[in-house]
Amino acid sequence: MALDYRKCAQEILDHIGGSENITSAAHCATRLRLVIADNSKVDKAALEEVDGVKGMFESNGQLQLIIGTGTVNKVYDEFLAITGRTEESKADVKAAAVAHAPLWRRAIKTLGDVFVPILPAIVASGLLMGVVEALGKAIPGFSQSDWYGFLDMIANTALAYLPIIVAVSAARVFGGNIFLGAVIGIVMIHSSLLNGWNVGSPEDINSFFGVTDGVIPIWKLFGNIKIFGYTLLSIRRSGYQGHVIPVIIAVFLMSRIEKWFHKHIPEMLDLFVTPLCTVLITALLTFTIIGPIFAQLESWVLTGAEWMVKNPIGAAAMGALYPWTVVMGLHHMYNIIEAGMLSSVGLNTWMPIASAANFAQFGACLAVGLKATNHKTKAVAVPSSLSAALGITEPAIFGVNMRFFKPFICAMVGGIIGSLFGAVTNIGATAYGVTGIPGYLTINNPLVYTIELAVSGGIAFALTWTLWKEENPQPKGKTVVEDTNPADFKLDPKVIMTANGNEIHQPVEGKIISREQIPDETFASGVLGDGIAVEPTAETVYAPFDGTISTVAESRHAIGITGKDGMELLIHVGVDTVAMNGDGFEPFVREGDEVKAGQKMLSFSKEKIAAAGHPDCVVVLLTNAEDFDDFKVNA
Amino acid sequence: MKQFQYKVRDPQGMHARPAGILSAEAKKFTSKLTVKAGGESADLKKILSVMGLAVKCGDTLTINVEGDDEIAAAKVMEEVFKKNF
Repeated sequence: MALDYRKCAQEILDHIGGSENITSAAHCATRLRLVIADNSKVDKAALEEVDGVKGMFESNGQLQLIIGTGTVNKVYDEFLAITGRTEESKADVKAAAVAHAPLWRRAIKTLGDVFVPILPAIVASGLLMGVVEALGKAIPGFSQSDWYGFLDMIANTALAYLPIIVAVSAARVFGGNIFLGAVIGIVMIHSSLLNGWNVGSPEDINSFFGVTDGVIPIWKLFGNIKIFGYTLLSIRRSGYQGHVIPVIIAVFLMSRIEKWFHKHIPEMLDLFVTPLCTVLITALLTFTIIGPIFAQLESWVLTGAEWMVKNPIGAAAMGALYPWTVVMGLHHMYNIIEAGMLSSVGLNTWMPIASAANFAQFGACLAVGLKATNHKTKAVAVPSSLSAALGITEPAIFGVNMRFFKPFICAMVGGIIGSLFGAVTNIGATAYGVTGIPGYLTINNPLVYTIELAVSGGIAFALTWTLWKEENPQPKGKTVVEDTNPADFKLDPKVIMTANGNEIHQPVEGKIISREQIPDETFASGVLGDGIAVEPTAETVYAPFDGTISTVAESRHAIGITGKDGMELLIHVGVDTVAMNGDGFEPFVREGDEVKAGQKMLSFSKEKIAAAGHPDCVVVLLTNAEDFDDFKVNA
Repeated sequence: MKQFQYKVRDPQGMHARPAGILSAEAKKFTSKLTVKAGGESADLKKILSVMGLAVKCGDTLTINVEGDDEIAAAKVMEEVFKKNF
């Protein structure tokens, strides 16, 4: 009996918690793809029993029900009719699946999206800063020289003015105007505000504001009206140098506000009203809400950190928390702790903890750099890890470790153990301001310090190396040619066709049959082009000439390759294998890749093709054979 | 210039066979035939270029025909689409 599509659709709906539990629905050739709002309402056992559902699995936040070719679209139509939904593309469903990821994952993804484009700026800054600071400590008198002053200025530019760069990038990510974003970034580090790196130093506060009590003055926009001890709309006159999170939050707000105004203000007035209101409101919110929250966090972190590092357990915990304070931009006040230690006991025992935490970031980031096959990941991770070794960890944390997250956790573990070791052995520095390798210049026991760095960096490296798996390995293809693996190359000497003097080699081992013998009228008739077919004895297809991949079928069973003089060759594995929907086929090239003659392009499973009931002959046709007067088949 | 639209019904989308039939038919005319899907367009006379559109079931295609025999070409091609795809 034919399947009752309506009944099938209705039963599926009943077992997934009804229409209101569907975030998104689409179908492909064989599957119904659903994104479910609340997975606990899905009765998986019952779903598998529904007549018409041949199987189900969950993947990437989608619930996929295998229904079958030619049937799924009918069930889908009924499904739409019952639920009153409109048709959606697979892309919509994928987007909904991403939106479905937990909040912290989306937040980390956003952080990565904001940071990746600005990495060149902060990597340059981080490396230069590490070198300049080290030189300042290593060469007596260098830190007073003009060269130091000049180099230090260049080196710290991108990090000190980080909020502007972050703001521009964040505005791009959140869809706000990037110039308004820049304004918000600049406002947050405006020269009328005390440099955020000096908030803990009464001397700097006194000299900047011309006061004597070492307290940062406050603007009271509404006078002294207080609610629960909080002075309404009061603004502490300090900047956000080196901050990241407050800037991203501010620009996120800005983009929302800007979009709201764009939508509600008539076009004629838009340019008068929208930017003005957007900047003003965002700035007010930033300084009156985000500002106090971070000021409070800063003082908590400072007091907490001072208290914690007094015993080894606290020091170990600090080793884990340290990178988080870097993420929050709260680590710039630590030199107050260091200065305090030096003046009270003459030894800076904070530095070994910071070093352990930083060097662990180096270890984790280096592991990513060495293990990654994706060239982009490698190119970011290696220089970022160098910068981290010199004590500037922002590129490593934001560009690599935090983004992939697992390396960040591994670095925390390394940081814990390294810090513990440092605290137990009671090593310390005689100055402050540098960590990592430049730390050798100030440490009192270089040997123990070496062990500490080796422990924290080594553990982070080993853990990351073992636990982290690359999500986006380097796509094979173009680059395979560069780092050639001989096993991936095999050029069959047999030339099966020539066109305009260009040789087309046999792409797969096996017995050649003429086009007319192909067990399919469409291919045999020559309507798709002229050529031959191979009854394969092997399962790998190699490029028959140097060319560019013009198409890889979504169902992965066919590849189009364009060669010299415009030869357009179709290599189609099996007959009717489109119905297998990619199962049993593995392409190694992608559209747009350049391939060399003999390069591995596709592998297939003869067994699976046979199991699906299709002939496995590999059809090789020059689709534009008629454009070549001298086209010849050498069967 | 003539133009028509076609909504793909073939559950497997644009694979080699329909692409081949379409381009074989298209080659019979002198007019330039362009097929658009999503943001991309392809020369209907080139099989690989048509396959490269990765058209899926349910997608709407816009076909532009331009040339001396555009009236006949548009009419015939519309039929070919309906019959094979």
